[in-house]
Parts: sequence; C-alpha cells; structure tokens
Amino acid sequence: MNDTFFVSIVTFAYFSAAFVFLVSFIFEKKCIDTVAVVITVAGLVIQTLALIIRWIHSYQLGIGHAPLSNFYESLVFFSWSIIFIYMITRKRYGNTITGTLATFFSFLILAYASLSGKVDCRIQPLIPALQSNWLISHVISSFLAYACFAIAFGTSILYLVKRRTGKWNIAQLPDAAVLDEIMYKMISIGFVLLTLGIITGAAWADRAWGRYWGWDPKETWSLITWLIYGAFLHARLARGWKGIKMSLISIIGFLAVIFTYLGVNYILSGLHSYL
Amino acid sequence: MQTKLYRLFSSVRLAIFLFLALAVTSIFGTLVQQGLPLERYEKIFSPDVFVVLKFFNVFDMYHSWWFTLLLVLLSINILACTFKQTPRVMNLTFPRKREIDDSVFTSSQIRKTWHSQQDLSDLEEQTQVLLKSLAGTPVQVKKINDARYFFAERGKYSCLGMVFVHVSILFILGGGLIGTIWGFSGQMNVVEGTTSDTVLLFSGTGTEKLGFDVRCDDFTVDFYEMGMPKEYRTDVTILEGGKKVASGTIRVNHPLIYNGLKFCQATYGIAGIDNFRIVVQNSRTGKKTGLTMGLMEKAALPESTASFAITRFVPNQGGEIPAVMGVLLEPGKAHDIFWIEKNKRKEKGDFTFTLQDFDKHYYTGIQVSKDPGVPFVWTGFSLILSGFILSLFFAHTRVWLRIAAVQGGYEISLAADVSKNKKVFREKLEGLIGTLQQGGAA
Repeated sequence: MNDTFFVSIVTFAYFSAAFVFLVSFIFEKKCIDTVAVVITVAGLVIQTLALIIRWIHSYQLGIGHAPLSNFYESLVFFSWSIIFIYMITRKRYGNTITGTLATFFSFLILAYASLSGKVDCRIQPLIPALQSNWLISHVISSFLAYACFAIAFGTSILYLVKRRTGKWNIAQLPDAAVLDEIMYKMISIGFVLLTLGIITGAAWADRAWGRYWGWDPKETWSLITWLIYGAFLHARLARGWKGIKMSLISIIGFLAVIFTYLGVNYILSGLHSYL
Repeated sequence: MQTKLYRLFSSVRLAIFLFLALAVTSIFGTLVQQGLPLERYEKIFSPDVFVVLKFFNVFDMYHSWWFTLLLVLLSINILACTFKQTPRVMNLTFPRKREIDDSVFTSSQIRKTWHSQQDLSDLEEQTQVLLKSLAGTPVQVKKINDARYFFAERGKYSCLGMVFVHVSILFILGGGLIGTIWGFSGQMNVVEGTTSDTVLLFSGTGTEKLGFDVRCDDFTVDFYEMGMPKEYRTDVTILEGGKKVASGTIRVNHPLIYNGLKFCQATYGIAGIDNFRIVVQNSRTGKKTGLTMGLMEKAALPESTASFAITRFVPNQGGEIPAVMGVLLEPGKAHDIFWIEKNKRKEKGDFTFTLQDFDKHYYTGIQVSKDPGVPFVWTGFSLILSGFILSLFFAHTRVWLRIAAVQGGYEISLAADVSKNKKVFREKLEGLIGTLQQGGAA
C-alpha cells in the first residue's frame, strides 16, 4: 500500500482532531478533549507507519533512504514533528487550545503537501550531497526545533488575543501566565534542538563542502533564527521580560523560521537547494 | 569609568542588543550576493549607492570590519558576563563551607513550617526520609543551640551548564578566527592523468602551493536511471618528489584528508574528447571501415581518393545528443562540412558516416581546505551541547530543614531553592508533607 494513502487518512484525522479539540475548548468538556487526544494519537501512529512504509518502499525501489530528503517528505515530517512535540509535552505544557492549534497547523501542512500541485510526492533517489549519515540527525533535530517554534508561535498569538480581549474576554482561554510559560518552555526546547540542528549541519557541511560554515543563505538564516530566540531567552531569563514583548519576539522568530525553511529556497539561492 | 565600562560589557542588555544587531545585519548578506568581483556590483548599483555599500563592505559583509567588530564585542561581552558570574557559580558548585543561616527559613521562595509532638528521634528519621526523596543525596546534620539543621542538595553541577554554553561560543568564534588567519580554501582542477600542486584561492588573493602533487587517476560520474547524478568519484594519488605517498578516493561527503588538508569533491567538467570511433561505409562498394581519430586529424577513406576529418565536437547538439562536425575532402571538390550525430547515419556523397562512440576526458574540481580552527569549533560544539544537557536535564535543588524545640513539641521549618520546575517541586513537597502529617496523626 502506498504511503500517500495513509497520509491522506492522517490529514483527515488531524482535521477531525482539530475540530473536536475546538468543540472541547468551547464547551470546556474534559471528555471531548480525551476523544480529540485519541484521534490525534491514532493520526500520529498512522503517520509514523506511513513514514516507515515510505522508507521500506524506497528500498524496494533500490534507492533506499530515510523519507527526509525532499520538499514533500519535509512537509510530512514537519507535521509529524508538531504533533509529536505536542503529545510529549502535553502533560506538562499542553492544553486543549494548543491541541487545536497543533492539529490544525499539521492539517494545513499535510493538506498543502497533498493537494498543492507544486509538491512532488514521488520517492526520489538521493543526489550525492545528500548521501550522508548526517541527513537523519540534521533533519530530525531541525524539524523538531521548527515544531517547537510553531507551537510557541501559536501560543504567542493566543497570548496576544488573551491580553487584547480584556473587555469581551474569551473565558475559556488559559491564563496569560500559563500561555507565557508554555511559550517560554517551547522556545527553550526549540532553541536547544535548533542548536543541535545547526551543529549537525555544520559537521555535515564540513564533510560535504569542506567547511563547517560558509555564510550560505540557509546557514545565515538559521543563525538569524538562533540569534532571535537567543535574544528572547536572555531577555526572559536575565532581564525578566514577559508578556506582550516576548510574544512579539516569538512571532518574529517564527517568521524567521519560515523564511529559513521556505524563503531561502524560493527567494534566495544557495547550496542548500533541496530544503 | 572602569566600573562603568565593566558594567556595560557585563550587561545582558548589551548581549540582547548584539544578538539582534547581528541578526538584522546578517539579513543584508543574504539579499546581496556575496563575494562577486567588484565590477559586477558597480554595474548593478548607482555610483552613490555603490560607494556607501563599498565602504561598509556589504559585498563581503561577514568579513567586514564592522561585522567583525560586532563579533569582537560579543566575545568581550561573553567574557565579562562569565567573569561576573564565576564567583556565584563557583560558590554554588564548589562551596567552601556550608553555613546554615536561619534567614533561609524566612527568605526562601519555597518554605513550609509545621508542628509536631513526636519524639525527636522519630522526627529526625522522618525528615531524613523527606529530604532524601526531595533532594536525593545523604543529609548533612548540624546542631546549633537546641535546634537540629539538615541540608540536602542535588544536581549542583547543573549550574555549570550555562557557563559551558557561554564559553562554547568563545571557542567557536575563536576557532573561526584561527581558521580565517591560518587557514585557506580554494579549488584545484585536475585533468584525468595529470598532476597539480596549486590551489586557486576562493578569496581571490592568488594561489597556494601545496608542496606535493595531486594526481587525478580517474574521474567517474554515475547517474540513476531517472537521470539524476548518483555519484561523483575521483581516484587520486598524492606524490611527494615524484614518489607515491598516498592514494585514495574522493567522493561527495567522503573527503580525503592528507597532511592536515581536506580534499572534497566539488565539481567536474569535460577537459577534452578524443578517440572518436566512426564507421564509414562506401555506398558504391559497400565496404565498411572503422576509424578511430582525434580532433583535426585527417584520415583517408577506404577505396576512394577522398579523406575525412573531424573539426569540432559538441556535447549536446539539438538537445542531448553529442555530435561532431565532419569535413569531407575530395580532390577537385569544395570541402563538404556536416554534422554527424551520435548513433545516427549521415549520408554524404558516396559515404555513410556513423559516430559510434568517443572517449571523454574529465577534469575533477577538488576543493582544498585547511582550517586549524576546526578542533576549537568542535570543542565549542561539544561544550554547548553538554552545557544544554546539564542545564536541561538536571535541576539544582537545595533543601534546608530545621527542627527546633518549642512549647509543646517541635517546630519544623523547611526551605528550598530549585533552579527550575518550582511548581512540580511544590506539588511534590505538599504531597510528602501531607502523608507525613497523616502518618504522624495516626
């Protein structure tokens, strides 16, 4: 069975989960939240299976490699990462509304990957530059970092909504302090993962291109992202900044993430042309 | 003045400013392509803009004076901050003396006081268990006056995590500086079967002699069935004074390292073509002859007075097909010039020509780099990761406890300081004390 078939099931599952999370959020019903979690976990399991199937399938085609090597595969893995990060941090930092955001965001990414004609979902062989043991660790750490930043981004938007709607407050939203804490935790974890992503990328670049750092646009933008979140953490930890200012930095940081992921490849040119 | 400067350089405010300044300025370098010859920029920008951009070296901005200045300021900032933090961190990690001060029981963020009428020995036992589950390690006991003091601590080395992370940046920047000063990188193109000892530097500052010869024995490129490149591969031999000292294969992601230099597969190209295999059929006699010839070589055609030469080669005539330009020379006639595409019959006069095959000579483009800063950068990378692990997975937990005799029993005071997850710690503490008091009541 083709992995793209499973991906379409997962797309539907995340959409349903987002809807159920939203219902649970509006009516503040714990049991509905549980239903949403069950759907999300089922989606995650099927998506993991789809990744494994695609991996096996690539070996059957004689061009075996981890399914992390082109735009389609990166989108699928990005959506997987968001749900994965949400599920493992849910116990401590998660709640119904961030669940809505995480599943809906993953749904959008998968829908784009499947429905946009621009994304080629075929399994392609690896060009020489990508034939490296660093591929898996570099891609996984980078996308897990992106996922943390995506959740932090969603939370900062919620924070701003919470603060701006003082008069006709959305009562169901968690306290501003809780949202602020989730944003901070997600950015801390994401920052460490991004550092790991940059380091594995540097180690790889040293072997593939003969230098660990060359100010290629992708490298530079990953550094810009790192610096923005680095500034965020210093402002928070050492200067005690909280609230709206931090939400804004988090939003700017996520714009940098998106630019690092997509903008560099579509607008600028460089060595890192395979996303 | 000195203290003012020190205060500025050891401030987090400066760090945040530098982070954002580096982030914002770095964007320019991704918008303006870096490292082109100056004439190219002169054409793109108007003279006024060009002068300004040139002053700020926007064309190679990551090596410009002001960008370097920002990095130097960042280094000084990290140094000063680390210096400022050192006493505090050292005191937390390697304390000279554990003084238990009564003030912790009134000033700590987490504190708890309760009373008990149990025996002192029972209480001591209970509180030991309590401290053990809160902070793990064995308990220090002190007696001052009538009161008993206990102290427990866990994860003190996590305080070093942040120091590691900050120092790591110095290693990485230092490694980068060393590489810039004592390293070089460039490219050498070597035709199959030939040797070279000269690297053309990327910085545009000329060439670098290696002091030994690199011979390209063979270059091959493989393609997947779908047409994408599968492997680029150069077999090289290193010669010193004409003697073979090493040999190896360079593939993408698999560089050859010799004498502290790294040789990476960067590019390739066709250096020359020869040994064109051409089959000529004389249509009058039907005789077929195979010719093997190079460019600009003349060959007599069988059973005829005519001769034939190849004057040009194109790798992709009308799309993908390689072709040669042939010239048919017959006495008393004008030259006849025509294209012969690979594996296609071409009739001309009395003859039919077919280009069957030819030999390609590749040159391989090897990127050569020397960077003595790399070990420092790797040290920095290990430091930053171990620093993150220390501060992410371990929390510094300190718990103080005092049992003091009061009227009708004992007063137990507990104070704690945790470096993170205060909420989780509080919940755990409440739970433990809850069970303790229930047990005491029963």
